[in-house]
Amino acid sequence: MLVPVFTLKLNHRILPRMVALGKYDGAHPCLAAATQAGKVFIHNPHARGQHVTANRTMQSSQDSDISLLNINQGVSCLTAGVLNPQLGYDCLLIGTQTNLLAYDVYNNSDLFYREVTDGANAIVLGMLGDISSPLAIIGGNCALQGFDHEGNDLFWTVTGDNVRSLALCDFDGDGKKELLVGSEDFDIRVFKEDEIVAEMSETETITALSPMYGSRFGYALSNGTVGVYDKTARYWRIKSKNHAMSIHAFDLNSDGVCELITGWSNGKVDARSDRTGEVIFKDNFASSIAGVVEGDYRMDGNTQLICCSVDGEVRGYLPGSQEMKGNLMDTSVEQDLIRELSQKKQNLLLELRNYEENSKQAELSVQVNEADGQRGVIPANTQLQTALSVNLGSDSQAAHVELCISTSNDTIIRAVLIFAEGIFEGESHVVHPSLQNLSGRIQVPLTPPKDVPVDLHIKAFVGYRSSTQFHVFELTRQLPRFSMYALSSPDLVPEPLSFVNFTISERVQRVVMWLNQSFLLPEDAELQSAPFQVCFTSLRDAGQLCIKIKPNGEISISTDDIDLAGDIIQSMASFLAIEDLQVEADFPAYFEELRKVLVKVDEFHTVHQKLTADMADHSNLIRSMLVRAEDSRLMGDMRNMKKRYMELYDLNRDLLNEYKIRCTNHTELLNNLKSVNQAIQRAGQLRVGKPKTQVITACRDAIRNNNLNMLFRIMRVGTASL
Amino acid sequence: MGLEMEPLLQAWSYFRRRKFQLCADLCSQLLEKCPGYQEPDSEFTVSQAAWSLKTRALTEMVYVDEIDIDQEGIAEMMLDENAIAQVARPGTSLKLPGTSQGGGPSPAIRPVTQSGRPVTGFVRPSTQSGRPGTMEQAIRTPRTAHTARPITSASGRYIRLGTASMLTNPEGPFLNLSRLNLAKYAQKPKLAKALFEYIFHHENDVKNALDLAALATEHAQYKDWWWKVQIGKCYYRLGLYREAEKQFKSALKQQDMVDTILYLAKVYFRLDQPLTALHVFKQGLARFPGEVTLLCGIARIYEEMNNISLAAEYYREVLKQDNTHVEAIACIGSNHFYSDQPEIALRFYRRLLQMGVYNCQLFNNLGLCCFYAQQYDMTLTSLERALSLAENEEEAADVWYNLGHVAVGIGDLNLAYQCFKLTLANNNDHAEAYNNLAVLEIRRGHIEQARALLQTASSLAPHMYEPHFNFAALSDQVGDLQRSFIAAQKSKEAFPGHVDTQQLIKQLKQHFAML
Repeated sequence: MLVPVFTLKLNHRILPRMVALGKYDGAHPCLAAATQAGKVFIHNPHARGQHVTANRTMQSSQDSDISLLNINQGVSCLTAGVLNPQLGYDCLLIGTQTNLLAYDVYNNSDLFYREVTDGANAIVLGMLGDISSPLAIIGGNCALQGFDHEGNDLFWTVTGDNVRSLALCDFDGDGKKELLVGSEDFDIRVFKEDEIVAEMSETETITALSPMYGSRFGYALSNGTVGVYDKTARYWRIKSKNHAMSIHAFDLNSDGVCELITGWSNGKVDARSDRTGEVIFKDNFASSIAGVVEGDYRMDGNTQLICCSVDGEVRGYLPGSQEMKGNLMDTSVEQDLIRELSQKKQNLLLELRNYEENSKQAELSVQVNEADGQRGVIPANTQLQTALSVNLGSDSQAAHVELCISTSNDTIIRAVLIFAEGIFEGESHVVHPSLQNLSGRIQVPLTPPKDVPVDLHIKAFVGYRSSTQFHVFELTRQLPRFSMYALSSPDLVPEPLSFVNFTISERVQRVVMWLNQSFLLPEDAELQSAPFQVCFTSLRDAGQLCIKIKPNGEISISTDDIDLAGDIIQSMASFLAIEDLQVEADFPAYFEELRKVLVKVDEFHTVHQKLTADMADHSNLIRSMLVRAEDSRLMGDMRNMKKRYMELYDLNRDLLNEYKIRCTNHTELLNNLKSVNQAIQRAGQLRVGKPKTQVITACRDAIRNNNLNMLFRIMRVGTASL
Repeated sequence: MGLEMEPLLQAWSYFRRRKFQLCADLCSQLLEKCPGYQEPDSEFTVSQAAWSLKTRALTEMVYVDEIDIDQEGIAEMMLDENAIAQVARPGTSLKLPGTSQGGGPSPAIRPVTQSGRPVTGFVRPSTQSGRPGTMEQAIRTPRTAHTARPITSASGRYIRLGTASMLTNPEGPFLNLSRLNLAKYAQKPKLAKALFEYIFHHENDVKNALDLAALATEHAQYKDWWWKVQIGKCYYRLGLYREAEKQFKSALKQQDMVDTILYLAKVYFRLDQPLTALHVFKQGLARFPGEVTLLCGIARIYEEMNNISLAAEYYREVLKQDNTHVEAIACIGSNHFYSDQPEIALRFYRRLLQMGVYNCQLFNNLGLCCFYAQQYDMTLTSLERALSLAENEEEAADVWYNLGHVAVGIGDLNLAYQCFKLTLANNNDHAEAYNNLAVLEIRRGHIEQARALLQTASSLAPHMYEPHFNFAALSDQVGDLQRSFIAAQKSKEAFPGHVDTQQLIKQLKQHFAML
């Protein structure tokens, strides 16, 4: 049984996920956490009694451990660590929606203060790839930026959606750290410097990532899922109705392997084995957990696990000693084992009774054959068939992909259970027709929201109409990546104006193979005469997609949807194992829209500046008015005081209105910036390998220099130079 | 009329000879000749030149160097939280005076200001009073301490300067800002700069100035460092220090300028990050070795942080570069005086006298130096001269106070008594005089009067430990131990290291323990 070695009540609320431990003077670990009203507090229990004489405005000893830092903005992320190796101590990094501050707590001075227009939703500090100095990497709206200790951004790239979590982890085992990015489009992407090396799709927004050891890392989703990945393979995951607030890797049972510590929104903290997800330790707080960190907080040479709750309770746990043999729960192993075994016995007894019942029935059934069905006996050669097809929909039903499950004889399907990630709300779907319309055939409409290949795990209950017991058929079927596109005839509709052209050095047959694998075609496409053309209609928005293949390997994809074009290229490249691919692309409608957005961004910037100046002016006025009012009060001039306070009230209301305007302006600006970042990301997505990173960096340079024509040329041809 | 100068040249000449009023008048005449002087974009380059010259002349009339204006208003002091750390480590913040680190003299020798900082040899806006604890104290302080701190930095001096625009031209302001098309001016860099300075310094309309600067810097494709500095200045005035910091830094990247460094340091000063400001100064020194303003800035910061010895070192460095630097001489002088070297201090003050500084304060200091250096013959003459040079009652009060001090020193208690009385007649807020008078009253045995005087002194200047201690000692003598203890505690708070106070408290505690 593990008990906390220390418990502190800090009397300050802690914002979720905003806890960091750092040695701001190089020796004493201090806890820094964001609290309300744009403040960050630092709890330093080690300096007690040092500056008692120094300080005129003495505080009570409880409070003197805590010093508050004014950030004057809502803190959106916070971390601590060594940013400048020459300094020899940690600095505190505080991200807000508009700025990033690197602050030297010991010397009360800034290392740098940078404006980050894309916001900072997540932050991580450490070495990345081959970059020689530690970087503070922040993830904002579709953008990632890395700053060194002077505030130079040495790293910049874009990603698919708003970043929610970041972690550094040696993903491919080459001794250098890769960046893991979890974003709101449910993807975990792995960046090797600015190149994406892997992408994993999850089922919800990724709220936390934590490196464990080697290539293993933990993750948490906003729907309460927590799990562990090893490289791209998921080890285990569990789902809870609570939300995981913070995850951390810590070796709590001293077995040399880190466990995944999770702090939950209901105040529970649990440690799970990295291999199985089995709970080896748990504890409860009175309120939601804000963060889990580790450090030698008692300065006795042992690292403790430190858990903080949102109302400022902090508990530290020492890892269990070797003698405890990893047994951290209050129940003993023996008890657990007995419970487990008796459970097993119970199950086996149940099963046995079932079999006895069945065999009894079988004996009887020689006489009464008709009753077969009731007993759940079905012909041995019964097969369950599944078929996927595209249903163009009718008036009452939107177009969708249809999964058809049928039995091979007169048996019926009582119910179907389908488990698939990301298609259904809550991941699984159950179909059980009412008793009257039971049949041997069930159609399930599917509408995958994203173009990703999905495994459908199907469980069907098969039996007779009158059966009380059913046989369960289990099978797995893969939904092709581009299942939401229906084959259409090329001549019916005009070809889209936008296109992507590229040349590959593969045989056309291989491309056709890819086509068969990725699309739901009524019959496998045969290699007809080259040039070869197929056309599809999207089931989502009826957009057209046209793929033309020429015998010399020139492929052109025409579609108005730039995302789709990117997906197709990425999918084709991974199927054909193409490492570098340069393409020529033109999306006139999309580019025009982007141009408008960029113009708007400029306008918003100007308006923003004006509003800021106005507000500063007004707040100056308010301050002077307040002082005047107070002055009148001190002099006992009540009439003037009243007048002043009335004026103050009016001005305050104005200021509030102005603030609302500014807020709207800012949100608009953010949305526009996001779409610009997304555009760059999409332009990159059209290329593979080196050309992709080139396009992204070139686009950024163009935006920095405000050179729109250059930007569009890069998006079209892929390079800045002609 | 014989020879007459070309009018524009004459206006130019007036401008060079700093006869701005004449210059402006002449320019107005020139502009009246060609109509539409509000629109200098016409082809008449002469009118453009006259227009530009007039704006410059009007600006110069009210120009105050932005670097040296540092007025933190009451409102900023009380209501803003620009500083990141609320309670920073001692020695890293200007808010907490803390103990002296550089081994400067203790408050027993060198008096402290209200904020607990030793008095300096040179009066700057920020040296006079520190940061008060409450709004009430903040509002009261300027009334008693004669600091004339403005309500906000946007009011105060700037407003007074801004009203200049009304006075110079009885028929209305020269330019009607609301009618100006700023975007058009921003296209013409030469006119825009003059116009900006006019709006910023003369009209004092920071918002419009910022608009103009923003447009102009855009026109210059963000390549003109001058505009960036101006935008930074506007932000600084508006209290947007972080934005200002960004602009100054960006300007410094393009062009190394001493001015920009000073502005940037000012920003950090406001953000209460003295170490960052020092870092900025030191970086600046690497690029401009021996630059006096930078050295002086460093010295000021050290002085504000109570690191007197380092401050003196940098003031010396200043003198090596510029041996006529009044501030450095005065500060080193006062430092020597308070570190018990009045003879050396005397040399510094004489140097000031040689340089033509001829005022009451200097003679006052000279007199005191002479007194402590035992040159009694010079003492009284110096102080007499100081008295004759005193411009107002406060100054006279100070001189009388010092005379009283001298009288105590030579043992003429009657004279001392009268001098302190005269001090109070001149300035009835003089806490030190109340205190000293009370001590004299104690000697005469007038306990009740002494007690009243001490109470007045401690309420006027709660930061001084002397009245508290004297009160404690007096109460102890008459047996009022409770009051004595309370006063002793206050004294300890004001000056923790005071040995006598500590002994008194110890003694009192023993008494209480016995009871």
